[in-house]
Amino acid sequence: MSAIAASARAPVPGSGLAAPARFVRDTALLTVRSLRAIPRVPERLLDVTIQPIVFILLFLYVFGSAIHVPGVSYKDYLFPGIIGQSLAFGIIGAGVATSHDMTEGVIDRFRSMPISRLSIISAQVMGQFCEQVLGLTIVVVFGLILGWNPDLTAPHAIELVGLMALGMFAFTWMGVLLGMLVRSPDAMQGVGFIVIFPLAFLAGTFVPIAGMDAVPRAIAQWDPISALVGTVRGLTEGVHSSGSWQLVHPELAMALWCLLIIAVCVPLALRRFNRTLAG
Amino acid sequence: MSQITAIETEGLTKRFGDFTAVADLDLRVDTGTVVSLLGPNGAGKTTTVRMLATLLRPDAGSARVAGYDVVHEATQVRALIALTGQFAALDKNLTARENLVLMARLRGRGRREAAAVADRLIERFAIEEFRNRLVKKLSGGERRRVDLAAGLIDTPHVLVLDEPTTGLDPRSRQVVWSTIRSLVDDGVTLLLTTQYLEEADALADRVVLIDRGREVAAGTPAQLKTQVGAQRVDVIAADATEFARVSDLLRDRFDISESAEQRTVSVAAPDEAEDLARVAAVVAEAGIGVDEVALRRPTLDDAFLALTGHIAHDDLQTDDYEPTEVAA
Repeated sequence: MSAIAASARAPVPGSGLAAPARFVRDTALLTVRSLRAIPRVPERLLDVTIQPIVFILLFLYVFGSAIHVPGVSYKDYLFPGIIGQSLAFGIIGAGVATSHDMTEGVIDRFRSMPISRLSIISAQVMGQFCEQVLGLTIVVVFGLILGWNPDLTAPHAIELVGLMALGMFAFTWMGVLLGMLVRSPDAMQGVGFIVIFPLAFLAGTFVPIAGMDAVPRAIAQWDPISALVGTVRGLTEGVHSSGSWQLVHPELAMALWCLLIIAVCVPLALRRFNRTLAG
Repeated sequence: MSQITAIETEGLTKRFGDFTAVADLDLRVDTGTVVSLLGPNGAGKTTTVRMLATLLRPDAGSARVAGYDVVHEATQVRALIALTGQFAALDKNLTARENLVLMARLRGRGRREAAAVADRLIERFAIEEFRNRLVKKLSGGERRRVDLAAGLIDTPHVLVLDEPTTGLDPRSRQVVWSTIRSLVDDGVTLLLTTQYLEEADALADRVVLIDRGREVAAGTPAQLKTQVGAQRVDVIAADATEFARVSDLLRDRFDISESAEQRTVSVAAPDEAEDLARVAAVVAEAGIGVDEVALRRPTLDDAFLALTGHIAHDDLQTDDYEPTEVAA
């Protein structure tokens, strides 16, 4: 394709850093950039905090009085559900933010600069990950203030934090991928509402799966979000569900789901991003 | 060492579905010169500069920046080109200074050095007043200045300015122009896209007029303007009698053409405002009734009409935002 004869070339200014070091440096710089936006656009964080808080208040004080779960107070049943749901909603949050961010002019500038291109997307993931952590922390603190009393041993706490981090990592990648695919925040909200919202309700989040009708029960038994909720509930309350392999072994199921999501979404997201660049 | 060609394209072509945005474009920008790509909305200007800046992949043809192929040697190209877009490419949630520091850091400067570079640019581009204001709170003109500064962290081999003054008020436009002129004085190689003939005229050594993705004409601003027709003073008489009087009066003193139908006498005005003043003085002294005495400069529309035979079409908005995702 190169029809122009090789001509005189200008010397290329180098950064003097090896590729991996550049990647780390650029990712760090771009992650700090997106985190700086949090205090300046606090409404972005509201998305990941207000919604779970509304659910907590609604279910704890409105619907909760009609829900009886044997062997555990509804408050202690509800909070693990909300945490699992918040984790899953991270897909929507990361997707909406990404579909918005990727149309910003500044991304074009980054793309036309001599920086590690991979760092643009890894910084997007890191930034979203941090926002999710912050959002989830607020939800947990809110729960503790309202009287949630988790029953955690040290090994369980470590296991929980590790699985949650893995989950957030996987869902953030999934959200970033979806955000690049749909290309508009509104479309991302739509996908979230049609797909993730029902799955989050079916997951034994607010009521036990065992009491559901046959069809929703079958879906819930294999809903990945059931594994999340089951993991949080199992580790914080010692309550386990039954009915499918993943309900009996939620921790292992959650880890497998997350690894599967990472194995599928990370390469697809990278491919998608590179393609967007190449145009 | 032979002279490096800053930009050289051959048969450069980009299609979006059925729409050909850039067709078989041959463009050459020599190092140290200022070339303007002039055309209406949708002419393919932004698509062209996005291909040069490695943001879009050409469908056919080739392009080199400072000798490096934009597709196969994109990394080198990115180190040598700086693009300032028509929509300011800055982080809205950072301040002007934070943006400049970030760009300097991404270009490999250490913390302290990046701050020093940013402060130098802030001084050079008169950004002091709003250095610590968030970019989203800046005016259009202020943003363009920060945007220009951000493109000049490292002196690029070639600076590409995509419609740097579109949407600016006349005062901000003057400020941006004087900033660009100072860059030109420093010897920066510049490719400038614009919709305004006067902007190309004011800044460029060479103008390439494009329409519907194709080159229509190219030359120095003076050459183009000769083709388009020069600036003139139009005197519109109040009625037919006055038209006859003004026509007789001006014919003796100036180089004129006239249209009785429109009661207009056009006077060649190579000295622009001075000619306007002279014509106005003559008309006023003779006490002729006129509706209007005005200086007319050839507009882009005139240029298009003269060079393409059709009116510049403004209906295609493809330059505003290109679908960047087209199967590679």
